[in-house]
Amino acid sequence: MIYDAAAHAATYARSESGPAPHGDEPGATAWQMLADVGRDMIGYRELLLQLTARDLRIRYKQSVLGVLWAVLTPLVVVLAGAIIKAAYASMAGRGVATVELAGLAIKSVGWTFFIGALGFGTASLTANLALVTKVYFPRELLPVSAVVTQAVDSSIGAAALLVMFPLLGIGHMTGAAWLLLIIVLLVALTIAIVLLASCANVFYRDVKHVVQLVTSFGIFFSPVFFDLDAFGSRGVRLFAMNPLTGLLEGARLAIVTGHDLATPLIGTTGAVIWSPAYLVYAGSVALGGLLLSTIVFRRASANFADYV
Amino acid sequence: MIRHHDGYIEFAGVWKKFRYGEVHNRLRDAIPSFARRLIGRREPGEGLWHGEFWALRDISFRVERGQALGLIGPNGAGKSTILKLLTRIMQPTHGRRLVRGRIGALIEVAAGFHPDLTGRENVYLQGAIMGMERREITRRFDEIVEFSGVSLFIDTPVKRYSSGMQARLGFSIAAHLDPDLLVVDEVLAVGDAAFQAKAFARVQALVQGAIPVVVVSHQLEAITTLCTHALLLDRGRVIANGTPDACVLAYLGGASARPRAAGDGAISIQAIQTSASVLDSGQTLTVALSCAARADAWAAQETIRVGVRSAASGELLFECSTDAFGMQFPTAGPFDIAIALQMNVQRGVYLIETYAWDRAMERVSFTGPSVSVDVREGSSFHGIVQMNADAQLVVRDERHLTT
Repeated sequence: MIYDAAAHAATYARSESGPAPHGDEPGATAWQMLADVGRDMIGYRELLLQLTARDLRIRYKQSVLGVLWAVLTPLVVVLAGAIIKAAYASMAGRGVATVELAGLAIKSVGWTFFIGALGFGTASLTANLALVTKVYFPRELLPVSAVVTQAVDSSIGAAALLVMFPLLGIGHMTGAAWLLLIIVLLVALTIAIVLLASCANVFYRDVKHVVQLVTSFGIFFSPVFFDLDAFGSRGVRLFAMNPLTGLLEGARLAIVTGHDLATPLIGTTGAVIWSPAYLVYAGSVALGGLLLSTIVFRRASANFADYV
Repeated sequence: MIRHHDGYIEFAGVWKKFRYGEVHNRLRDAIPSFARRLIGRREPGEGLWHGEFWALRDISFRVERGQALGLIGPNGAGKSTILKLLTRIMQPTHGRRLVRGRIGALIEVAAGFHPDLTGRENVYLQGAIMGMERREITRRFDEIVEFSGVSLFIDTPVKRYSSGMQARLGFSIAAHLDPDLLVVDEVLAVGDAAFQAKAFARVQALVQGAIPVVVVSHQLEAITTLCTHALLLDRGRVIANGTPDACVLAYLGGASARPRAAGDGAISIQAIQTSASVLDSGQTLTVALSCAARADAWAAQETIRVGVRSAASGELLFECSTDAFGMQFPTAGPFDIAIALQMNVQRGVYLIETYAWDRAMERVSFTGPSVSVDVREGSSFHGIVQMNADAQLVVRDERHLTT
């Protein structure tokens, strides 16, 4: 038991042949770290499942409306957007088209997923402090399971749209593949942001306020209530900086308008309302951000127990 | 999960730095350090900055299968920090920590419980947190619930459980984990006396299961019963390393446990000697003390006290004072005292402690030397004290006697 160098050397010789022991790799490269995270996500998939199941159960336990909330939340966003759209339409002396509402609905589901996951995910580490300081497991599981929980929740709203659209005669099946890609990118982008926000929230409580601002007002900086062509070419360029723009507008154009996202689209004001570059940009931000935030989170999470 | 049947734990020169007070209260400090962390460059041998201290200094040990290491020491010695490093909750500042195999941690056994979930849901959740697979939990579910004794309430949200019920359920999950390595921290104090006995037996069975075990406990008896080795820690350093008995003795007799009294008393105890260092239970032990009185102080108000402490439990079993014998010390010069003690105790190691007591000031005026004695099996009895029982039988109606 007393530490001796010979036994020590023998240990390392042995550990090379067998599975690697849980050592400390202070000099681990970014790639090793990403591989570690990937391995952990697979090794701990059971815990990811259990944490998600826990969060879903808690969400609907002791609530009168239960699962209905999953539909009600985006519905309220749609109503708010419909009021704004009605105001614009009445000024222009026309009515609000069903297509417009359908576009609004699809973007509302995406938006409520994003802010729901952001709010829930940012608090995921601090809300589980007792666990973080007492039991080891890959800490990524907490924010990731928060995003997965919100995804399950939002898929109920999405399923409602899936039933309603064919009934109303809206929607183009041709956009389904694009929509799938957009969903993957949206989840990746959300996980990236949530990983960063949740770990920053451990160290700085300012993050909570930032998230609150995004939740309340972020919708005005994203094309949810309005479509891109409402602002002219300059406005489009500004909006295009928001990676959510490409994803939300892309989903609307692919499903509601039936536009092929591989080709650009010029709006009535002459602005480029769609360019494949928007999607490429959103995709690079999402995937690049995911890689970066995974590394940052891994590095920071080693010290969570020391700081909280 | 990959199973390792040759699990082991090894610390090689592990250091751990902590900070006092608030961390990162200034953004100005935080940004460069955060940036450094991002780049991943940590200068080894980084000294201590203002407000930092070493919680662990150069800790090395190795625990292999069949070994059980006990960590003892006063509060703040670094025991919990070692456990947090072992369980990967924290990272060492320097040094290498190798942990091979799935750790079963009997620490904070109910940490993952969610109050709104039922006992059943929490068993699956906590099991997953501890690294169990769903199938494994399902297979052992009945056993876990049975052991915890909360079967009736298994479908009730745990917020309606008493704290004892929660702890019992948590302990049961952790104790059914089949780990490759076991870490135990003070959980032996869970539940009522009956459950504690059951829990202790369970831990004992796990320890004998030939896996590496690390135990932290202030119940020194748990350490001496469960462990094969021990480390005595004080302020982050290893100050003794050896058998549990030796470490417990060093802890009880050492400066860490008994702070030296100020030497301003009239009487000082210079040496202690016992008639034997090994004796049988029931035999008489004579303790001889060489003392001295200072002429310029008032010796009359001081007495000398001799105590017998169990090394296994740390409990003081007996203490006597010289004033009970009507002793009058000289006002100056050396003198000797002999005290005879009948060692009516179980086999084990006992610590004979001495100190001078100031009756007027009601304080320890001098901490004297102590010595350990080893009591072997003599008269056999159950319990901790030999009461020299004697018995008589009186039969009222002799007709019922079978001869």
